[in-house]
Order: sequence, then structure tokens, then C-alpha cells
Amino acid sequence: MSDTMSGNQNMKFLYAGIAIALLISVLAPFLASSDPDGLESAAMDIVDEAKLTAMEEVAPAVESPMPDYAIEGMGKTGEVAAIVAGTLIVLVIGFAFGKLTKK
Amino acid sequence: MHIPDSFMPLSQALIYWVAALPFILMSVRWARNELDETKVPILAALAAGIFAIQALNIPIGMGTSGHMVGAALVAIILGSPLAGVLVLTLVLLVQGFVFADGGITVMGANILNMGVISGFVGYYTFVVLRKSRISIAASAFVGAWLGLLVSALATAVELYLAGTFPLVPGLTAMGLYHLIIGFVGEGIITAVVITAIQKSRPDLIDNSFLSSEAKGAAA
Repeated sequence: MSDTMSGNQNMKFLYAGIAIALLISVLAPFLASSDPDGLESAAMDIVDEAKLTAMEEVAPAVESPMPDYAIEGMGKTGEVAAIVAGTLIVLVIGFAFGKLTKK
Repeated sequence: MHIPDSFMPLSQALIYWVAALPFILMSVRWARNELDETKVPILAALAAGIFAIQALNIPIGMGTSGHMVGAALVAIILGSPLAGVLVLTLVLLVQGFVFADGGITVMGANILNMGVISGFVGYYTFVVLRKSRISIAASAFVGAWLGLLVSALATAVELYLAGTFPLVPGLTAMGLYHLIIGFVGEGIITAVVITAIQKSRPDLIDNSFLSSEAKGAAA
């Protein structure tokens, strides 16, 4: 396969990838389980309750614009917007990084 | 499996940054040496897809959920665990700074666990199984599953050293939950995606290790 041909094929892969990623981003706020993840569940099982509460009250080292993949006061719409924004940010950074570092 | 800042003292969090940094630098060097113009769209698509899928927590019972990590998937497609390290580093940077998912001071530990450990264990398990003529889907499933499980156990040990988890209960709880998360969230999804790509774009999946037996054994 020539470089141009696989290049075009790979652009198709990119478009398909973007479509799938955006579809997941839009559905995630409705489909994702809100149960604690494996690490959080483990912590709740084995860490002393008072100690865990104290740890959870510690503010993160850096303030984030959209903590917990949400926009304050915007409900599910805000969650969709946050995850879509994140997907697009990662897409742009990934593409730009690739372009800058490629051989 | 994203460790928050409060789970680890700063002094230890910095040690994991020091441990992760050489792998991050190697992953940048991998991109310089191996990533050509035609592969850039693949890298970007994988990074966006991994970020999105990580937002989708799957319930595993016991009041617990988990999501895919994806380092093994990226490593298998692009033919190097360093590709997995690179994508997970980008994803964790955005998750940490924009969404407060995973701490900033402990990001080195998160990159080490989810990028390096799950990527390397996942990829080399895949390679060994493929060389033993196991099917691509089964190899991808087992590699991704094992990669996630080992990275969860490593996290348990780090949190024991941090004074946050007791050792054995930590290993047991993290191991049990991630045994299941790894089966569903990591193993099955990785195998399905690899099979789909193998059918539609077999040229895309790097399998140079199958034809360069001698070189692979030496490496």
C-alpha cells in the first residue's frame, strides 16, 4: 500500500474514531454507572471511615474548571458538554503532538 | 483507578513522578522515531477514543463500577508499549487538570500504573501469546486483562507504602474488583476492538514481532 493510500485510509480511521468517541461522550452521562470505581470501593471497604472522610475533604492540589466531568448548574447537558469538550481537547492535543514529534 | 492527591503524601508522589519520567521521555522518543505522517491520525483517534471510553463506567456488581484503561489496546495497535504510555499520559494530563479526575501531584503514579504497567504487561503478554500461535482476539483479551489486574495490584502496594491501605486487604480488594473490571471493561473491549480492526484494516495492527523472531528474542 502506498503512503498516500494508507494516509487516506488512516484519515478515514480518524473520522470513524472521532465519530465513535463523540457518540460515547454524548451517551456516557446517561449510561455510565455512578457506583464508586474499584479504587474508591476498595477504599470504602478497608480504610477507616473517619480517615476516609478526612482524606475526601482535602481539596485537590490544583483547581479544575470542570471537576467530575460536569458544569455546575447544567445537569446532564453540562456533563455531555464536559465530556465532549474533553474528547475534543484530547483529540487536538494528540493530533498536534503527533504532528510536532513525528519523524 | 485514578489515585487522588489526598491518598498519597507529596514526598512519595514525587518519587513516582521520577520513576514515570523516563518512560514518558522514552514515549516521546518513540513518537520521534516511529510515528510517521500516516500514523498521526491513528494516534489522535486512539487518544480521543480512550478519553471517551474512560468516562463510561461499567457496573460490575458489589456496588462497584470500573472503566477501561486502554494502554494495552493502543500498544497492540501501534506496536509498542510506549505508545500506550504516550496516550495515557496525554489522557491523564487532561483528566487531571481539566476534570479533577486523578490528582496532579500523584499523576506520576497514575501514569506509572495505568500507562507503563498496564501497557507493558498487556503488550508483552499479547506478544508472547501471539508467538505461541494463540488467536489475536484471545491474546488481546488476556493481555489487556492481566495488564489491568497487575496495575491494580501495583496501586494497592503503592497505597500501602503511602500508609493509606493495609497491605493484604488492599491487595485483596483491589485485586477482586479489578479482576472483574479487567475481564469486562478491559479484556472484552480490547478483544472486540482489535478483532474489528483486524477485519477492516488488518494492515493497521503491528505484527512485525511475528516475523522478526530473532530480533524479538534478543530485545
